[in-house]
Amino acid sequence: MATKDSKPSYEAARDELAEIVESLEDGSATLEESLKLWERGEELAKICQEWLDGAKKKLDAAKKPAE
Amino acid sequence: MFETSSESPAPVRVVSEAIKDYIDRLGPIWIEGEISELNERSGGMAFMRLRDTSADMSISVMCYKTVLASVQPLPANARVVIYAKPSWFTKNGSLTLSAKEIRQVGVGELLARLEALKEKLALEGLFSADRKIALPRLPRRVGLICGRNTDAEKDVVENARRRWPSVQFEIREVAVQGAAAVVEVSAALSELEANPEVDVIIITRGGGSFEDLLPFSDESLVRLAASCTTPIVSAIGHEKDSPLLDLVADYRASTPTDAAKRVVPDIAQEISDIEKIRDRMFRRLVSTIDYELNQIAQLRNRPVMKDPSVMVTSRRDEIKGWRDRSIRGFASLLEIEKKELKGVKAHLRSLSPQSTMDRGYAVVQLEDGSIVRDASKAKAGTHLRIRVAKGETRATVNE
Repeated sequence: MATKDSKPSYEAARDELAEIVESLEDGSATLEESLKLWERGEELAKICQEWLDGAKKKLDAAKKPAE
Repeated sequence: MFETSSESPAPVRVVSEAIKDYIDRLGPIWIEGEISELNERSGGMAFMRLRDTSADMSISVMCYKTVLASVQPLPANARVVIYAKPSWFTKNGSLTLSAKEIRQVGVGELLARLEALKEKLALEGLFSADRKIALPRLPRRVGLICGRNTDAEKDVVENARRRWPSVQFEIREVAVQGAAAVVEVSAALSELEANPEVDVIIITRGGGSFEDLLPFSDESLVRLAASCTTPIVSAIGHEKDSPLLDLVADYRASTPTDAAKRVVPDIAQEISDIEKIRDRMFRRLVSTIDYELNQIAQLRNRPVMKDPSVMVTSRRDEIKGWRDRSIRGFASLLEIEKKELKGVKAHLRSLSPQSTMDRGYAVVQLEDGSIVRDASKAKAGTHLRIRVAKGETRATVNE
């Protein structure tokens, strides 16, 4: 599991998340692996969400004075 | 002519007479220039200055008023051809051309010459499109060559300021008509061309007569303009006027206002363009982020992510299935064993001595369970077990 300080880029996080969802769906992983994958998936989903929410907030803030 | 020295100098009269002698021997010549400072005295003589049309040079001319009368009225800055003889006036030591004949150079003649010059310069490639230099988008300084206090100057400066308030001008007010125009415009052009801060030069003047605009078709000025590395915008006269400078300029403006528009961008337009680009950028980014948000939402909504307990329940179900199968399997195995046991029991029973014993026989066994088949094996005192149809009894051999 990645540590907080080596936060992946948005694209890397999203692609890894998609991969994890797919391998969870095909069900080939062991339970133990699946559990780890799911935890990692949750973490990645959070990172992606934070990234996008942050970007949107920045954009809104920048847009305000122009209006 | 004669020897002089510091010890024996010649008096003025001798020198002046000698010059007169020399000049009087010169024959009459045809000479062309532009008339200025025409002065008709009360007497029978008229005085004027004949100026060169390209260089700052002039010569005084006098004639009888009757000679001048043939071309009167002359327009301002008239081009003339004079048939004259140089004369030396000993009284004040001045040289004057005495004109015997004055002819105005007709517009037709001038036009024909312009046309010839135009063809010559065109052949040299001076007007070709690939010589044109692009105007700067935003010049550091704008060179402006114009007449003193003219509308053309005001139009350029005001319109440029309106479009770009901080525009910087380097203005040279010069003669824009008459014989001095070529010299002064050329000097200003050379000066502005040499100024590294000046990124574009406007040459402008308002409309005027054909003669007024002639300096802007002067060959030396046109060649100078062609040699400039700073882009030049010409705004001379009206649309219909087409001095050769227009052809050699990098941009020909129809009016001074048009020239102003060409040299500086419109600040309002720039601001609005930047705003539009900024807006596009924002919209593009917002749609990208929205798209990605949707992607992430979809991933998060997939059953494996939304309800991760499936991961456990699916396995629990699997285990239950296996367990059920295992139980069922074991039960059926048990059943088989049971049946087999029954068969064995029946078989066992068929082999049993019971039925024989039922008929009254008995089985005699020794203490160790071995069957007594030979009476001699049972000595006196031997303990025997006698199994009958129902139960067992014990006995001891007597003899």
